[in-house]
Amino acid sequence: MITRRVQYELIARAAGPLLMTINRWQGDLKRAVRRVTGRGPARKAAPFGPPLESTRKLKDLMTMHYLTGRYADGAVPVAWVTSGFPVEILRPSGFFTVYPENHGAVCAVRRMVPELSEAVEKQGYSRDLCAYARCDLGSVVTGKTPAGRLPRPDLLACCTNICQTVLYWYRALAEHFKVPLVLVDTPFVYGEAKPHHLQYVRDQLHELRTVAERVSGNHVAPEELEEILKVSLAGTRLWDACLKTGRTKPSPWTGFDSFIHLAPIVSMRGTEECNAYYRILLDELQDRARRGVPGIANERVRLLWDNLPIWFNLRELATLLAEHGFNFVCTTYTNAWAEAGGLIDPADPEGSATRAYIHVILNRDLPNKLRTMKRMCTEYDVQGAILHSDRSCKPYSIGQIDLKDRLAQELGIKALILEACHADQRAYASEQGEMRIRAFMESFDQATPS
Amino acid sequence: MRRAIIREQQARGRKAVAVLPVHYPKPLLTAMDILAVELWGPPGPPRGPDAGRLQAYVCAVARNALAFLAAGHADVVDGVLFPHTCDSIQGLATLAPDFGGWGKPCFRYIQPKGEERPSSRAFVRAELESLAAELAVLTGKSLETAALRRALELHTEIDRLRAALLDGRARLAMTDRELYGLLRRGEFLWPEDHLQELKAATGRLAAEGSAPVQTDLPIMITGYVPEPMTLFDHLRAAGAYVAADDYAGIGRRVLRVPVGEDDVVSERSERSARPEAPPRPRPVSDPFVALVRQSFEAPPCSTRSANQDRRLEYLVGLYRRSRCAGLVVHVPKFCEPELFDVPAIRARFAAEGVPLLYLEGELEADLSAQAQTRIDAFCEMVAAQRRRGGRAAGGTRGGATGGTRSGATGGEA
Repeated sequence: MITRRVQYELIARAAGPLLMTINRWQGDLKRAVRRVTGRGPARKAAPFGPPLESTRKLKDLMTMHYLTGRYADGAVPVAWVTSGFPVEILRPSGFFTVYPENHGAVCAVRRMVPELSEAVEKQGYSRDLCAYARCDLGSVVTGKTPAGRLPRPDLLACCTNICQTVLYWYRALAEHFKVPLVLVDTPFVYGEAKPHHLQYVRDQLHELRTVAERVSGNHVAPEELEEILKVSLAGTRLWDACLKTGRTKPSPWTGFDSFIHLAPIVSMRGTEECNAYYRILLDELQDRARRGVPGIANERVRLLWDNLPIWFNLRELATLLAEHGFNFVCTTYTNAWAEAGGLIDPADPEGSATRAYIHVILNRDLPNKLRTMKRMCTEYDVQGAILHSDRSCKPYSIGQIDLKDRLAQELGIKALILEACHADQRAYASEQGEMRIRAFMESFDQATPS
Repeated sequence: MRRAIIREQQARGRKAVAVLPVHYPKPLLTAMDILAVELWGPPGPPRGPDAGRLQAYVCAVARNALAFLAAGHADVVDGVLFPHTCDSIQGLATLAPDFGGWGKPCFRYIQPKGEERPSSRAFVRAELESLAAELAVLTGKSLETAALRRALELHTEIDRLRAALLDGRARLAMTDRELYGLLRRGEFLWPEDHLQELKAATGRLAAEGSAPVQTDLPIMITGYVPEPMTLFDHLRAAGAYVAADDYAGIGRRVLRVPVGEDDVVSERSERSARPEAPPRPRPVSDPFVALVRQSFEAPPCSTRSANQDRRLEYLVGLYRRSRCAGLVVHVPKFCEPELFDVPAIRARFAAEGVPLLYLEGELEADLSAQAQTRIDAFCEMVAAQRRRGGRAAGGTRGGATGGTRSGATGGEA
């Protein structure tokens, strides 16, 4: 325990930052050599604006997060957590948190999902199940991960506000690791949340605090929780402000950038490191907006993206759209971490966390989703929308066919439904998808010749 | 037929509510003079174009139900109740009423997920009271305690008879098709009428201890809903019958332990969940307590996210008690709750040396020829194994399991 703790602290405070610095120097050196000698990989003219400087800091931040994670188990309590979980309750107990969904996205970007998934498909897991779940369970079974190693959990924490799938998935993890699974079950909100629904979530948060203290062995004073909530609220507001820079014309970044820069608010919400990073990103985005530096070189048509990204196809899709002057300036997915979190009130930890976590977009009815999309379309002044019909995420995808029609009827928004999967490339016909997107883009040119 | 029954009940002053799968507080509806008419799809091709409003990767139960509701086939009922079974039905519960497809009153019943906890007990009670208040608006009269108590007694008796028929299957002189047809009439009959039919059927049970009436291969089946019903014809033709049932729509809804109105547990749970709340006076006996307890004491079900170990123990126990010779796992495509339990079921029954056939369907009108062939092969294999005196008979350890390994496409006969 002591050795592990020393290792962990050493990595987190000294070796990790040192490695990051060396890595940065190496990168700087390579770029300088390339500038001087003119050698290096031939780069075709990118349809994008100048890259965000913050991206390197993001890479450092997330690399450090996963690096310290390798040494976390045995040193500090470790919790594996769903993206919509009220993590603020766990943080004061000193948990290092791992987000399997974020890890799944990393695996998907590296195109590792089929290999990991096949390991559990052999055990009988159907390919019709969520690709994140299959990928994560496959990673656990095979031990393969692009992160090097994930720390073994002491606690599994899942919240059904994003889907019920996470409960089945985490139950399988609990069976594998033989550790406690704590659940925050959030009743779906039709219209307004009923008082007893709120009370149910609040009761569970109360139960959660007890479990977190028991597993971690750390008693938490109320002011510690209050402090974490303040940090979390500040982080949410910073992220919200980053997203809102997309309202500028041209947008200083793309929706695809926002998918990448989402990682800290998902995985490190409630920490100072997360907030420090978003301050840097916000400064840069505001500066770009002031100076008119665009996310893509020639922003002609502004779009909204609905649902999770297609992680394994992010670059190709972004390039295809950018080449034709189409830019995603907002996405319902990244907005989810900016919206509900604003309901947090440090003065009322359990009550406000209840309201915040029950009111996430995926836990609310379709009229609310339509209102959110319409508001975003108006505020970001978009002309079109791509609704990713995600085979791996039914709760997000159900209703999209009606939503598409309503956006068209009520706001005149041209919309395309693109069927794919957020993580498993076997479920996406890329050529067919590209053809549909090209046809979609052509429809704009026919309507308003540029 | 259902339409005529609904009209007949409405003529008696009752209301009728269509109910989506799976678990809902039926005694509450009965007590409020509401006929529950369950909507499991219906099976076969979608009965209207609105199925296309849900993606093809959403299960047939939800897609067919949307088509059915939106095409007006359910207009004879006075409302629809959506239990929170899964993400798909949860989505349907906003899609149909909010975006078109259902214009009459709409009710939702949210069942807590996961293990029983103090918070979930308190929640179920509040949710039941909330549902009762909403249904009272539909019926124009509030729930009476005496009526709820009578309804609980009625459904306890129905469950007792259903359990007797299912547990005594080997001694029951009925085909599977007849038995499932009878049990499924409970999905739309007024409970008292269904009770009479069940009573009549128990007359066909041979006395306990007598030689089994069923001499075919005893098979256990687990799944969501017994559709298509021709499955039973094919099993019969292949020389097998269903000796043990674990369909979500059948066996998992039969409460085998009658629950009382003792509210000690509930009171303790509530205090534990909200210790700051002042104690509130309770009546000496309270039928709502029994209704709450029913939610937690029914057989473990994937759609309630039951503890998987407990579910596996339950399944193995049921298999052994029923002296089955093989297991059929019959799952609807895209059904996440069921699909997530399949690997554990496969692993556990493989460890027991039990032959297993995995069938996946989409509420088709009939089984595919391929599925029929696999049933034939499975039954032949199990029969051969039995003849060799292997472990299959009685479901105990010790026999060969040749050729029964569970693969990705299942079965493996």
